[in-house]
Amino acid sequence: MPAFRIKRQEGDDGVALQLIESEGDLPPWGPNEALSVVGHPYPRLEGREKVSGRAIYASDIRLPGQLYGKVLRSPYPRARITRLDVSRAEAAPGVHAVLSMLNAPPIGWYQEGQLFESTVRLVGDEVAAVAAESEEQAEDALRLIEVAYEPLPFVTTIAAALAPDAPKVHESGNIAGEPVIYERGDPEAGLRQADVVIDERYETPCALHNALEAHGGTAFWDGDQLTLWDSTQAVFVVREEVARAVGLPEHRVRVIKHHMGGGFGAKQIAWKVDVIASLLSKLAGRPVQLILDREAENLVSGNRNPTRQRVRLGARRDGTLTAIVAEIAQAAGAYRTGGEASDVSGTYQSLYRCPNVRTEQTAVYINAGPAVAFRAPGFVEGAAALEQAMDELARALEIDPVELRRRNYSEVDQPSGKPYTLPEGLRLSYDRVTEAFGWQDRPRPSSSGTKRRGTGFAAHDWVGGGGHDPGYAWIEMNADGTVEVITGTQDIGTGTRTGLAQIAAEELGLPLEQITLRLGDTGVGPYSPVSSGSATQATIGPAVRAAAVDLKRQVLDVAAALLEVSAVRLSIEDGKVLVDGDPERAVALSEVTEKIAPHMLQARGCRAPNPEDKAVRTFGAQCVEVEVDTETGTIDILRLATSHDCGRIVNPTMVDSQVIGGITQGIGFALMEERVVDDRLGIVLNANLEDYYVPTVADAPPIAHAPVDVPDLAANSTGAKGIGEPPLIPTAPAIANAVYDAIGIRIREYPLSRQRVLAALAAAGQGEARS
Amino acid sequence: MRAFAYASPRSLDEAIALLDGAGDGHAGGTRLLAGGTDLLTLMQADLIAPERLVDIKRLAELDDRIEDGAEGLTIGALATLAELEEDPFVQSRYPILAEAAGLAATPQLRNMATLGGNLLQRPRCWYFRDSRVHCWLKGGDLCYARGGENQHHALFDVSPCVAVHPSDPAVALLALDARVRLRGPSGEREISLGSFFAPPEDGRRKETTQADNEVIVAVRIPPRHADARGVYLKAMERKAWAFALVSVAAVLRLEAGRIAEVSVALGGVAPAPWHARDAEQVLVGAESSADLFARAADAALTGAGALAKNGYKLPLAKALLRRALADLTGQPVD
Amino acid sequence: MAANGFQPVTLTVNGSDYPIMVEPRRTLVDALRHDLALTGTKKVCAMGDCGACTVIVDGRAMYSCLLLAVDCAGRAITTIEGLAHGNNLSPLQEAFVASDGFQCGFCTSGQIMSLHALLQAHPHPSDEEIARAVTGNICRCGAYANIVKAGREAAEAMARQQEA
Ligand SMILES: Cc1cc2nc3c(=O)[nH]c(=O)nc-3n(C[C@H](O)[C@H](O)[C@H](O)COP(=O)(O)OP(=O)(O)OC[C@H]3O[C@@H](n4cnc5c(N)ncnc54)[C@H](O)[C@@H]3O)c2cc1C
Ligand code: SF4
Ligand code: FES
Ligand code: FES
Repeated sequence: MPAFRIKRQEGDDGVALQLIESEGDLPPWGPNEALSVVGHPYPRLEGREKVSGRAIYASDIRLPGQLYGKVLRSPYPRARITRLDVSRAEAAPGVHAVLSMLNAPPIGWYQEGQLFESTVRLVGDEVAAVAAESEEQAEDALRLIEVAYEPLPFVTTIAAALAPDAPKVHESGNIAGEPVIYERGDPEAGLRQADVVIDERYETPCALHNALEAHGGTAFWDGDQLTLWDSTQAVFVVREEVARAVGLPEHRVRVIKHHMGGGFGAKQIAWKVDVIASLLSKLAGRPVQLILDREAENLVSGNRNPTRQRVRLGARRDGTLTAIVAEIAQAAGAYRTGGEASDVSGTYQSLYRCPNVRTEQTAVYINAGPAVAFRAPGFVEGAAALEQAMDELARALEIDPVELRRRNYSEVDQPSGKPYTLPEGLRLSYDRVTEAFGWQDRPRPSSSGTKRRGTGFAAHDWVGGGGHDPGYAWIEMNADGTVEVITGTQDIGTGTRTGLAQIAAEELGLPLEQITLRLGDTGVGPYSPVSSGSATQATIGPAVRAAAVDLKRQVLDVAAALLEVSAVRLSIEDGKVLVDGDPERAVALSEVTEKIAPHMLQARGCRAPNPEDKAVRTFGAQCVEVEVDTETGTIDILRLATSHDCGRIVNPTMVDSQVIGGITQGIGFALMEERVVDDRLGIVLNANLEDYYVPTVADAPPIAHAPVDVPDLAANSTGAKGIGEPPLIPTAPAIANAVYDAIGIRIREYPLSRQRVLAALAAAGQGEARS
Repeated sequence: MRAFAYASPRSLDEAIALLDGAGDGHAGGTRLLAGGTDLLTLMQADLIAPERLVDIKRLAELDDRIEDGAEGLTIGALATLAELEEDPFVQSRYPILAEAAGLAATPQLRNMATLGGNLLQRPRCWYFRDSRVHCWLKGGDLCYARGGENQHHALFDVSPCVAVHPSDPAVALLALDARVRLRGPSGEREISLGSFFAPPEDGRRKETTQADNEVIVAVRIPPRHADARGVYLKAMERKAWAFALVSVAAVLRLEAGRIAEVSVALGGVAPAPWHARDAEQVLVGAESSADLFARAADAALTGAGALAKNGYKLPLAKALLRRALADLTGQPVD
Repeated sequence: MAANGFQPVTLTVNGSDYPIMVEPRRTLVDALRHDLALTGTKKVCAMGDCGACTVIVDGRAMYSCLLLAVDCAGRAITTIEGLAHGNNLSPLQEAFVASDGFQCGFCTSGQIMSLHALLQAHPHPSDEEIARAVTGNICRCGAYANIVKAGREAAEAMARQQEA
């Protein structure tokens, strides 16, 4: 039976209690244990809904009397609002509510702002909102709102923000928080000891998530009950934040998310739209649907922070790293949003064994949209630089890039000093990916002609994927022996429903069809954390398993009474209760449960903390072959192989899809994705899907996935870790390294657009030579 | 989108009468609606706000026919890009046009987009498409692209505006010497595509010389020698679904190893599809060789200067043109 | 036209006629999603940049965000809701489930409609033709390989059905 302990600590801030759950000391499924459901491919449980158009997303809610909200946004990157008159909008046809700083309660938002303020700090900042009977009426009403702005000076680049007399985004200045410094050993001495030093600067762009479903939701404030159908990765986080903002107790706020059209990290917190929709609904007394349009989505609801990184690597002739030093500046945008941090320095500290490491990371405010976690936040940006630098080092040392990495292998998470739960995870990724790609016998780059081929390699680690406590699941067995699993987590398109149902089916010995999984509703399931950090399967999977173990024990107790044998002789397989050594006496599970109907068996499971003495991480590596056209700057990705340690693979279909999807985003990041801002006007010029290019089907190359698939027995009772984020981490540097291999030119500024490739070729005298 | 009225007149004259004197549809006024793929995006972005849209898809006098005759190939203004791409006659006799249509936009857009509308689509300059920016082309004083983010902009400085014309088919049609048939209140006229397009200037801040109350009825490609071959090459920011950074249309006929006839047009380099006469002069009468093509490519871009961020277009345009010519004359590409 | 700018139009969607009153500015995607409550068709960009709103009009895939509802009178419109027969998914829908041709599912209606239009016109497409048919459909989850696979498997399943 799961139970918990409490640790009490008295500190300066008073008493702190830590509740430590137990999963009931479940031994993990062994590496060679024959599992009948887990590890097998199953189609998504919600597939039918999604292909028939019946899956309900936040914008598909239709309630009687429902209104539609629209938001008026600042056209200036920084300005003071000197006059605001909403009276004509209030009187406009169909309008039921107008919200602005004139009538909104004072609600603090972001780490340094308000829901509505008289100062706006980016193009797109919220000025007012309207709820009307149709979207068109709401839009008409926005045009009737009169605003006078006093434009103020602004900054839109890291360099401009750090300039001596830079306009200040916030009164406190343009440095967001304290610079984060990490140091071990003596990095400067390490550089001095080195036979070879690489010292280069890299830039990564501001990338926009562009999940197809925008942020927003449908809010209904009915009496003292608020229901919010939201597009979110975190129903419980949204409940807590919205409840606090609007002043309702948590049990009066219910957040529902049945299906979500992509989040990629940007939907792990509550956003202003959630609160604005709620307050509009309160004012109007009617349901209000407020979904961002694509432009607003790209202006205000998060981005991957652009970075500038100076990287110094020192190594001995034999490749041993003596120092890693990274100075990182990242643009936070105009506000700090919270959620998963973009820890750009993380991978520098952990990916390679090195005694002397220093990272310094400074976040800078600029007058542009706030950054937020984006699929492997920080590690994507960090790897983009570190993994090119490692390739540069390998070239300088004339050591094979994979070999160089093998020589600097760490089995220990160096910042914490703890060994990894699966210390061979990265090594296995190296082995499998190089074999799948044929790295040893890879084609050598051609040095003549206009179509040059090259190959590249990159590795990664990721701080996520291990899951964490707490997180809960309930499980019920119906009178006919079927099972409902209920949890407050959410399926953000990653296959959570299916993966969790497989865990329950496996433990209970039931076919998958006999399991129904309910999730994505704070009004239905128990607390579960945000679906981020590739954590959901590894967090809730063990909770589901713990609940299933308990339920199984209960049902076997009942069966024992029915069959008059000791419960220890009983097991369940394929929906039947089997008696050890007496196959004749097997009975269908439903025969057992029917005997006690209408009593219902129920159990609860929870996620216990991760092991204290070990670090749970995920790893992987990629090889890629490209062809670069030296006259047109076209980069064709000919093939890509990838391998990842995500522990036990619960559902290979779902893992393959995550891998291929993540890499496709990585290709976008490598080759085409970049927010463009006019620094004179402070306007984002491509806050749309026309000029912000994301990969199309024609841009997606063949991808070979060579899974590691070794259960991580020390990580949790299912042996599974996460795979949502990792695949995209090494893609961009692997491609950049392959491009270098092909044309002998380093492009240290991402994305490697046609423009950059041609400019680099021209600078190197290669392209022009032929024209 | 702001409210407007919708009219679906029976006859072309009725439609023209609705246009007459109604202004250019910038604020108020009347606009013709064909496929709507450009018009509605302009209205969604609040760049124009016509009071009335006049649907021309159901007019008896306008059609989508693609017909070959003594006068050459006549394409009804309502022919969609998909129809141009798929038409067996166009595919066999004018593959360059089928290619250009097929490289434009996406299958869904090609199913909607008409040829008439395609020629009249407005620039994709991101300053132009942003309602917050009142740039020169929209009646303001300043071209923001000149000193700003001009990576997608023109190489030839022939107008206060440096936006490039976005159409793919127009470039192929220019290389085919196509002509545009227009109908206005006082009847029909036919002009060359070269004079239909014109870089915007003070007093005419748009990319064509078409009058506000004229309707494109058809596009005609004059008859040409059966041996002429053409090719259309397009470089984009990704593999599909993007406007041309640079495109090249070349039509060429060899006679006894020499280039007897040639015409070359470039897209993505000027506010109108660009007729590269200088390149044609280098080529015509000459024997094909890699060196000749390199000289032609240089000639095609004489007078082209680069803005701060579009310098990459110069080598790109030259490379595409060399490749197009090599392809048409059967020379090795490298 | 009514004084408030609304006018009658009858949309023919999935074989049924729906007489509705709309303003001329109402796009087809909004009419489907709001006036007809057929929310399977998604609106993402409203600018022709994503493909989520793809429906079939007179046999051709089109973006419903760039069509006016008033302009669709008399045209046969098919949406994602029109593909299944009762509880029986179409072979293409089945193939999407079996091939895992989606993750979040938000682009899926559009992808399926593009491929449905292709398979109606060309029942035996090559992989290239299948990919080309969905070049106008962004999948931000990156399910492209499986989308193409679903198209291929649907074509094969339909061919088998034909033979049977
Ligand atoms: C996302 C996207 C990508 C695109 N990519 C490309 C591309 O790669 N290459 C390319 O070439 N194009 C591209 N286009 C542009 C597209 O091809 C044009 O929008 C389309 O051809 C316009 O035709 P339409 O029938 O939809 O015109 P409409 O939008 O209906 O009309 C456009 C303009 O022409 C006027 N008009 C239309 N027909 C006539 C006529 N017969 N007589 C007089 N006036 C008329 C209208 O009043 C309006 O002002 C793209 C468009 C989008 C939205
Ligand atoms: S290039 Fe033309 S459209 Fe663009 S900003 Fe300049 S004037 Fe305006
Ligand atoms: S919503 Fe129509 S194409 Fe994006
Ligand atoms: S499945 Fe998510 S966008 Fe395609």
